[in-house]
Amino acid sequence: MSPRSCFRVALRALAKNKLQTALTMIGLTIGVATVLTMIALGSGAQSSIQDQVKAAGMNLIVITAGNYKVKTEDDFGVVENARFEAPRAESPFRAAIWTGDDRPRFLPVFHPEDDPLEKHDHPTASQRLGDMEAGLGSAATLASGDAAAIRKLKGVQFVSEGVHENAHVAFGGKRWFTRLHGDDVSLPFIRRAWKFERGRFYTAREENNTDQVIVLGSVAAEKLFGDANPVGEIVKIWNQPFKVVGVVTSGSWLVAPAPGDDQFDAVYVPFTTVHRLLNLSKLNDITVTAASSGDVTRLSKGITELLRGRHKIGPTKPDDFTVTSQARQALAKGGMRPEVARSVVGNVDVLEKVTLEQLGKTLDRSSRTMTALLACIAAVSLLVGGIGIMNIMLLSVTERTKEIGIRRAIGARRKDVLLQFLMEATTLSVAGGLGGIAIGVAASIAIARWASWAASISFISVALAFGISAAVGIFFGYYPARQASEVAPMESLRYE
Amino acid sequence: MKPVISVRDLVKTYSIGEVRVPALRGVSLDVHAGEFVTVVGPSGSGKSTLMHILGCLDKPTGGEYFLDGQNVSQLNDDQLSRIRNKQIGFVFQGFNLLSRTSALENVELPLLYGGSNTPPQERRKRAMEALAAVGLADRAEHHPNQLSGGQQQRVAIARALMNNPAILMADEPTGNLDSRTSIEVMDIFQALKDGRGITIVLITHEPQVAAYGSRILTIKDGCIVSDKANVRRRLARYELEYEPRDASLVEGRAG
Repeated sequence: MSPRSCFRVALRALAKNKLQTALTMIGLTIGVATVLTMIALGSGAQSSIQDQVKAAGMNLIVITAGNYKVKTEDDFGVVENARFEAPRAESPFRAAIWTGDDRPRFLPVFHPEDDPLEKHDHPTASQRLGDMEAGLGSAATLASGDAAAIRKLKGVQFVSEGVHENAHVAFGGKRWFTRLHGDDVSLPFIRRAWKFERGRFYTAREENNTDQVIVLGSVAAEKLFGDANPVGEIVKIWNQPFKVVGVVTSGSWLVAPAPGDDQFDAVYVPFTTVHRLLNLSKLNDITVTAASSGDVTRLSKGITELLRGRHKIGPTKPDDFTVTSQARQALAKGGMRPEVARSVVGNVDVLEKVTLEQLGKTLDRSSRTMTALLACIAAVSLLVGGIGIMNIMLLSVTERTKEIGIRRAIGARRKDVLLQFLMEATTLSVAGGLGGIAIGVAASIAIARWASWAASISFISVALAFGISAAVGIFFGYYPARQASEVAPMESLRYE
Repeated sequence: MKPVISVRDLVKTYSIGEVRVPALRGVSLDVHAGEFVTVVGPSGSGKSTLMHILGCLDKPTGGEYFLDGQNVSQLNDDQLSRIRNKQIGFVFQGFNLLSRTSALENVELPLLYGGSNTPPQERRKRAMEALAAVGLADRAEHHPNQLSGGQQQRVAIARALMNNPAILMADEPTGNLDSRTSIEVMDIFQALKDGRGITIVLITHEPQVAAYGSRILTIKDGCIVSDKANVRRRLARYELEYEPRDASLVEGRAG
C-alpha cells in the first residue's frame, strides 16, 4: 500500500469519529502549545539576559583618575574587601611626652586619621585624596598617552578617552543644564545599545581638527528642540557655537532615555575640542572594552600594572587611578530585579573579579533550572496527550477488529495494517501538533505583547514541536498498531 | 490435468481450554480448474473450517494443502496475504463490506493491497468496470447501509473479482438473502464459471443451493461422506426467466 493511499485511508478512518478524533487531538494540541510557549518564554528570557549583559557592557573596563575606595559597603549591601588592608598593629606613631612623672608616657600626637596603619570606617583625608591631589574623576592623573598605551595592550578592543563637565547648552532662548561628555570617536562602538535616531556621531577627522561639533542625547535634544530636527542647527556652550551632527537614543528596550540619566540627558563633543576650549590636557576617565568578555579580569590587571609603571608608582604606594569592570553597574542598571542582582553578587567573592563566565554561569544555572522545570510541565502534558492517543487507538483496534479482519482476508499484510494504524495515530498527533503550534505561536506573541515578557519563537522550536508531536504519535501509536496487525484474517468472520 | 486445489489428510482441531474439538478429521480432496464445487452439510459439520483453510484464512493442524502446486503450509504470513489478494476471492454470508465506505471504495480495496501501486485513476476505472459488471454502476457512491442485501452481495462479488482470482470462495453467500436474490447471486456464479472459467467453492447448508454446483460434496462430522458430479444441475438463468417475479410466492415455495 502506497503511503499516499495509506494516508487517505487513515484520514477517512479518523473522519468517521469526528468528536473522538477532535478530543484526542486537543490533548496533544495543549501539550504542544505548552511546549512551544515554554520554549519561547525560556529562550526569550535567556536572550533578554544576554541582551542585558551585552548592552550593559560586560566587557567594559573603566579607568578613572584618582583613587577613592573607602566605602565598606557597596550598593548591594555586600561588604567589600578593602584594597589596602593595613595590618592591625601597635601604632608607632606615638611620641614620648614628658608629663612630670618619672616615666615618659606615650601618647598619640597626631590626629588618628594620619596614622596610615590605623583602619577607619570612614574615608581619611589621605584616602580621599588617593595620596594625590584629588578624589575620583577630578584627579589629573590620566593622560592621552595612557590611553594610547592601553590601546597597544593585547585583548583590547576599543579605547575611548573622556573628559566630563556639566554645561549649559543653549539654543535660541532655551537653555538646558546637562552633562557634557568629551569623548573620542570609538564611543559608539562601546555603547552597543546606542541608536542614532538622527544624523551621526562625529568623525575622526572632526576630532583631530578639534571641530566644534556636537551630538545630542535624545533627552537633551527634546528639551532644546522639541520635535524639530536639530541636525544642522547651532547650539551654544560656553558661548561657543557647536554644530549639531546627530541625536542619539537607546536601541534597547531595557534602557529608556530619561531626564537626569548619564547617557541620553547629555551631549557629546570630541574630547580634543573640550581640551582646546578649556585648555586642558588630562582625562577624567578612559573606557576600554575587552575583545573577549572573559578576559576582563586579566586585562584589568594588565592595565593596572601598565599605568602604575607609566605613573611611576612605587610598590608600597596605592594606585592614583581606579580600574573598575562594569559588572556591578551591569547588574544594577541592566534592569535585573534587585534581589536577583544581590544574590548574584553575594555568590561572587569579589565583585571586581566578576567575569562574564562567572556571571554567565550563575545566570545559566538559574535559567537552566527554570527551563528544566518548564520542560517537565511540558513533558507531562505531552505524556498525557500521548496516553490519550494510545487509549483511543487501542479502543479503535477493538472496535474495528472486523474491519481489520476483512482487510486481512482481502490481502492486507500485517505490515499494511501496522502502517495504517501507525499512520492514523501519527496523523492524529501531527494534526494536534499543528494546532498546538498555531496556538503556541499565538500565545507567545500575545504574552510578549500584553504581558511584555520576552518571548522568542525560532524556526527550530517550531520544527522541534512538530517533530515531537510526530514522535509522540509514532511512540504511543506503535503498540495499538502492533495489536491491530496481530488480528487474524479469521476475525473477519466473527461478530456477525 | 493438475488440480488447482489439492488437500491430503487435512486435520483441524480446535482447543477450547482442555477440550480438543476436532473440526476436520482427515479430508482429502482435489478440485480442478473450472469446477463449481458446492460443499453441503449441517452446521457444525466442519464445512466452514474447510473453506477457511482452503481460503488461506486459517491454518490446518495437520495434512497438506497444495494450491496451484504450491505447498501452502510452508508459506509465511506475507505470502499467504498475497495469495488471498491475488489468487482467491471471498464472498461471505455477512457480505463483509467496510461500513461507512462507498461501494466503489470497497471494490477498490484489493488493488490497495496488491503491491503493484495502481494509480488512483486506474483503480477507480477498474472498480467502476467491476461494479458495472454486476449491474451496480449507478450505486457506486452508495454506502453499504444504503444498499439492499442483494446489492451488497453483488458489491462483495465485484470486490472478490477485482484482482482476477482463479478461485472464488463463497461461504453461505445466500444465507442472508431472499430466494429471488439468491437465485440472482447464483446466476452470477454460474456465469463466472461458464464464462470466465473461474473455479468456485461454495459452502452452504441448503441442498437447494448446493444443486447449482457442478459437483456436490457432502460433509459430516469433519469427513467427506459423498462426492459426486451434479447431474440435475439447477440453472439460475432459466429460473429467473420462468419463475414468477412475485417474491412471496417464491419464498413460500422455497420454505
